[in-house]
Amino acid sequence: MDLFLQRCFDGLFNGAIYASLALALVMLFRATGLLNFALGEIGMVGGYTSLVMLTPAAAAAGGGGFVFPVAGTSLVSWLPGHPYPVVVAIGFGVIASALLGVLLQRLVLYRLRNRSDFVKVNATIALLLALAGLVTEVWGGLSQRYPSVFPDDPGDYIDVFGGRLRYTTLGAWAVQLALLLLLGALINRTKTGLAFRAITSNAEAASLMGIPVQRTLAIGWAVSCGIGALAVSIVAASTILRPGMMVTVLILAFAAATIGGLDSPKGAVMGGVIVGLTQSLVPGYTPFPSELAVVPPFLAMTILLMFRPTGLFGTARVVRV
Amino acid sequence: MNRYTGAAALTAAVVLPMIVDRGLLEDFSRVFVLILAVLGVHLLTGTTGLISLGHGIFVGIGAFSMANLLDQNLPVVVALVIATAMAGMAGVIVALPSLRVRGPYLALITLGLAVMFPPIGRRLGRFTGSALGRTVDVGGFDPPDFLRLDDHPHIWNYVVCLIVVAGWFLLTRNLLNSRIGRAIRATKDHEHAAAAFGINVALAKTGTFAISAAMAGTAGALQAIIDPYLNTNDYDWTFSLKLYTSAVIGGLGSLLGAVVGAVIYVGLPWLNEFLGLLDSPSLAFGLGLLIVIMVAPNGVVGLLPRFSKKPNSETS
Repeated sequence: MDLFLQRCFDGLFNGAIYASLALALVMLFRATGLLNFALGEIGMVGGYTSLVMLTPAAAAAGGGGFVFPVAGTSLVSWLPGHPYPVVVAIGFGVIASALLGVLLQRLVLYRLRNRSDFVKVNATIALLLALAGLVTEVWGGLSQRYPSVFPDDPGDYIDVFGGRLRYTTLGAWAVQLALLLLLGALINRTKTGLAFRAITSNAEAASLMGIPVQRTLAIGWAVSCGIGALAVSIVAASTILRPGMMVTVLILAFAAATIGGLDSPKGAVMGGVIVGLTQSLVPGYTPFPSELAVVPPFLAMTILLMFRPTGLFGTARVVRV
Repeated sequence: MNRYTGAAALTAAVVLPMIVDRGLLEDFSRVFVLILAVLGVHLLTGTTGLISLGHGIFVGIGAFSMANLLDQNLPVVVALVIATAMAGMAGVIVALPSLRVRGPYLALITLGLAVMFPPIGRRLGRFTGSALGRTVDVGGFDPPDFLRLDDHPHIWNYVVCLIVVAGWFLLTRNLLNSRIGRAIRATKDHEHAAAAFGINVALAKTGTFAISAAMAGTAGALQAIIDPYLNTNDYDWTFSLKLYTSAVIGGLGSLLGAVVGAVIYVGLPWLNEFLGLLDSPSLAFGLGLLIVIMVAPNGVVGLLPRFSKKPNSETS
């Protein structure tokens, strides 16, 4: 029983990560109708920005335990108060990713707005490769330790019938639920959310109705990419920060978003829970090897896409042929 | 490619072993193999519009099948054919979702497969040598006596690669110009209209996927002969993405695009290293694809005056 609970808690922690990235994907899908393959790497830029903001310039110069030199610390060390506490640093990271998202939307995807979906997907694939290369280029291929916002000493857990519910898991879910509430309000209760739907269904008509298309799209990209940076900081704190780590996470987040139905925030969170639990329970109770834990959720996504493309909570899309 | 450029290319390919040294000739063999891998992506995406971000896994399946078939002391030619067929069958399995799943979702599924290939391969240590990789035993693959190449195995490898790649090229060209090729293109232009004209859309898609995967498998099998050391880590998602990117940068409108794409696949990292610009070629590939999307919708080949009049090959 305690082992079962432990596996559930582990799964729930990963589930929070997938859910938050899935929310970011859903957010962008609602705003632009686009699957953003580059989301993980845009978040990585923010993750490394926050690492730069919280690493003292002296440690970056070579001293200090496990910290490898972090490029860029000397550039920002003149800022008052640098190095910043983790929470503030993550804030910087979120802003960096959000700005990068807006920039990419202006420079790349807005120019492709009249081109086919094939071209738009190609553009995000190109951004995925380019940003993965950029992160390696600037910050090197080494793994970096990344501090956690929540207490994560070995003793920081609540004992629930023998299972260890760690504070980091609770914290990740607190962030997650706050995001869900805020995004739900943004999509369903504000004019911007209404504008998202209008633009996705017909951008030209929306523009004629006086909806500021550019500004609305910018908001969508900024929010989505900012959440990406947040997710990166949670992943990095639970493992390490290393280039390329987000591709697997993003695939699983896509699985979560698809299982939930791509246009439903509630579905994204449910999908995240399902993916996280599958990932920890399937290798736990079947002979399935744990290093292939990514496979079962992926298979679930593929099968669901084949037989129920709208997911569990999504709305069916009607296509005119 | 018209008759004259084809003849010129063939002459150049035959003369090449006589004038370049061993290292350069091996590089040319590698380029031929990559042409085949890129041609696989080209055939799939160019004619059906399906996006596969996982063609690297078919190259990997071909390579490791080849290595294990050679362990069984099969003749090289037989092993090559079986390895190709195995990659083709893997292609059929991956193609199944493509019959129901459309657009970006197939890219997502294939990207996921590409991400999972190295860890799955490491689990199958008996076939892949786990994380350390394995060597390929190509002993017994001797050139026929009349060629007098016994002391020059690299020239023999080159000749084999040339013949196999040229064979696949002819096959692809003829296929695309046949009734089957027109049927496949029709499904890309308008699936429902094609179905209404009696084209079996499912068969066309699955068939194209299988052929394109088989091509990538042949490329992997040849790779195992040229460089007899294989590691699953070499077939990771960046490899697949670079293959895809190269094919799109080269241009999906004409077969020449696959050749240009392979040259870009090899040339871009080389140029980058030569100029000492970047540590990671991924950035160069990503930026290259972005630029091509923005300024040259038909790829590098589309910029050539002969091809620029062709209608836009974008998929909708």
